Amino acid sequence: MKKYLQIFNISFQQEFAYKLSFVMWRVRNIMQILVVFFLWDTVFSVRQSEIFGYDRDMILTYIFGLVFVKAFVLSSRTQDVAGEIARGEIINYLLRPVNYFKYWLTRDFSSKALNFMFAIGEFLLLYFILKPPFFFQSDPLQIILFLICLGLAMLTYFLLLFIVSAIPFWAPELGWGGHFIFTVIMVEFLSGVLFPLDILPMTFQNILGYTPFPYMIYFPLQIYLGKISGFFAIKGMLISLGWIFILWLLMKSIWEKGLRAYQAYGR
Amino acid sequence: MSKGIKESGEKAIIVDSLLKSFEFSEKQTGLLGGFKSLLAPKKKTIRALKSISFTINQGELVGFIGPNGAGKTTTLKILSGLLYPTSGFVQVIEHDPWKRDPKFLKNISLVMGQKNQLWWDLPARDTFNLNKEIYELADHKFKENLAELCKILDAEKLLDTQVRRLSLGQRMRLELIAALLHKPKVLFLDEPTIGLDVVGQQKIRDFIFDYNKRSSATIILTSHNMDDVIDLAKRVIVINKGEILFDGDLKDLTSKFAKEKIIKVYLGKSADIKKFENIGKVKRYNFPQAVISVPREASAIAAAELLQNFPVTDLTIEEEPIEEVIRRVFKGEIIK
Repeated sequence: MKKYLQIFNISFQQEFAYKLSFVMWRVRNIMQILVVFFLWDTVFSVRQSEIFGYDRDMILTYIFGLVFVKAFVLSSRTQDVAGEIARGEIINYLLRPVNYFKYWLTRDFSSKALNFMFAIGEFLLLYFILKPPFFFQSDPLQIILFLICLGLAMLTYFLLLFIVSAIPFWAPELGWGGHFIFTVIMVEFLSGVLFPLDILPMTFQNILGYTPFPYMIYFPLQIYLGKISGFFAIKGMLISLGWIFILWLLMKSIWEKGLRAYQAYGR
Repeated sequence: MSKGIKESGEKAIIVDSLLKSFEFSEKQTGLLGGFKSLLAPKKKTIRALKSISFTINQGELVGFIGPNGAGKTTTLKILSGLLYPTSGFVQVIEHDPWKRDPKFLKNISLVMGQKNQLWWDLPARDTFNLNKEIYELADHKFKENLAELCKILDAEKLLDTQVRRLSLGQRMRLELIAALLHKPKVLFLDEPTIGLDVVGQQKIRDFIFDYNKRSSATIILTSHNMDDVIDLAKRVIVINKGEILFDGDLKDLTSKFAKEKIIKVYLGKSADIKKFENIGKVKRYNFPQAVISVPREASAIAAAELLQNFPVTDLTIEEEPIEEVIRRVFKGEIIK
C-alpha cells in the first residue's frame, strides 16, 4: 500500500515540475469553458425559448456541470501509457515488482486529485464572473447516486484508455492514432462532452444507452441535475457495471497477448 | 551480507536449448510500398537465438561478448522476464522469469544504457524513495544501502538535482544506485560503460568488480568494450548470430585462438619493409615504429633476428589484442 502512496506523491510532484506548462494548462481549461459558455449564450440570445428541448438556463447548467465531471472523469495520465510502450519505457516497470495497472490507476488518482483542487478554484472564479444559472442539487439520494456514478465513470474511462493504449504492443506507430480516434471521436462525441446527449433522436439514444460511453459524462451529470433518477438511474448503473466487468476482462486478455507479442525494443 | 545466499556451487542461472524468434511485418519503402505493406504485409522471421545453453553459478561474474545483433541483449531480456522464449528452458534463481513473480523481481536488476528508470524531471532522490517502497525495503536498510552506494560512486552531491540537468556519467552512476538499492542477487548489465569517458568507464568497472566481491551477486555483463571484459570477467561467453561460439575462461580464449604474437619495434634508422616480410607479417609501418605479427612459437627467434639484422632501438613482444582474437572467433575460426 505504501508503494502506491509513494507513486501518488511522485506523480503529484511530477505535475509541478514544469511550472509554466502547468499554469498554461489551467488557463487553457478556463478558456475552453469560456468558449463553450459564450457560444451557447450567443445561440440563445439570438432566439429565445428552446433548442432541442433545452433552454438557456438548462444548457448553461450542463456546461458548468461539465467542468467538474470532466475534471474527475477525463483527467488522466494514462494516455502516457501508449507512449511508454512505443518508446520502450514500460520495460522499467516490467522489471520491478509493481503492478502496471495499479500503478497507472494510482497515477490517475493523483492527477484527478490535482485537477479537482484547481477545478474548484476555477469553478468559483467562473461562477462569480459569469453568474450562470447553475443548479445546486439538494437531494442527498441524488448526490450519493451521482458520486457512485462518478466512480463508475472514472473506472470505465480508465479501462477504455488502458485497452486502447495496448495498440503499440503490436504497432508502435499507431499509438497516437488510436488514442486520437478514441478520445476525440468516441469520448468527446458519444459521452456528452460536446453537447447533452438527449438532443439526439430517440433511437440513437437508446442504442447509445447500451454502450459504455454515455456513462462517463452525460449520465452522471444528468443524475446530479435530477433529470435521471429511480429506476432509470439504477438501470444505467447496472449497465455501467456490466461494461466495467466486460472491459476489465477484455483489458486483461489484450494485455496478456500484448506483453507476449512485445519485443521490448528500444535497446 | 550473505543472508539467503547458498554455497557458491548453487546454480543461479540455467538456460537450456533457448530459442527466440521475432516475427514482424516488413515495411516496404516509398509511398507505394507503404500501401503494399498495409494491404499485403510481408512477414519476416528473425531467429535471434538459435538454441543456446549455459549455466552460471551464484556469485560468478560472466562477460557476454558479441557483435551488434548477436543476441546478447535478447538473452538478457529473456533472463529478466521481459521477453517470452519461443522454446527452451530458462531458470533464474529458481524462478521462471516470464512469470514475473514479485519475489523474483525483488532479487534481480537490469541496467541498460539508454532506458533510464530515473524520473527525468525530478531529483534522483525521489526515484530512490519510490524504489524503496516498490521493493519494500526497511527504512534502515534503505538508508544504509543508499549511503554505501553513494559513497562508493561519489554521488552524494547529485541526489537533489533534477536528473535532466546531470551529465551522462553522473546519470549512469545514479542509475546504478537505483538498480542496486535493493541488493539484487542477480544483476544484468547491458553495455554499462557505453557513452562514458575513460575515467567514467574505469569508475564503473571498479564498482562492478567490487560489488561482485562484496555481495556475491551473480553478474552478467554485456559489452563491446573489450576493456570492460578483460578487466572484469574471468569467464566469457562469446555469442554471434544467436549461437554460442565459446564459453570458458578468458585466458583459454586467448591462448587457444591467439596463434600469433605481436612484435613492436622502434627503429633508429629507416629500413626496407620488404626485409621485414622475411621474418613475419607487417601489420603497420609508421617510421620509427613497425608492427609485425609472427607465429607464437617463433616469437623468440623472430625477435632475435630483428635485433641482429635491423637498427632496432626498442622492441616489445605482445599478445595479440583480444579484439583481434574475438573477431576471429566471430568469423568462425574455432578449433575444438
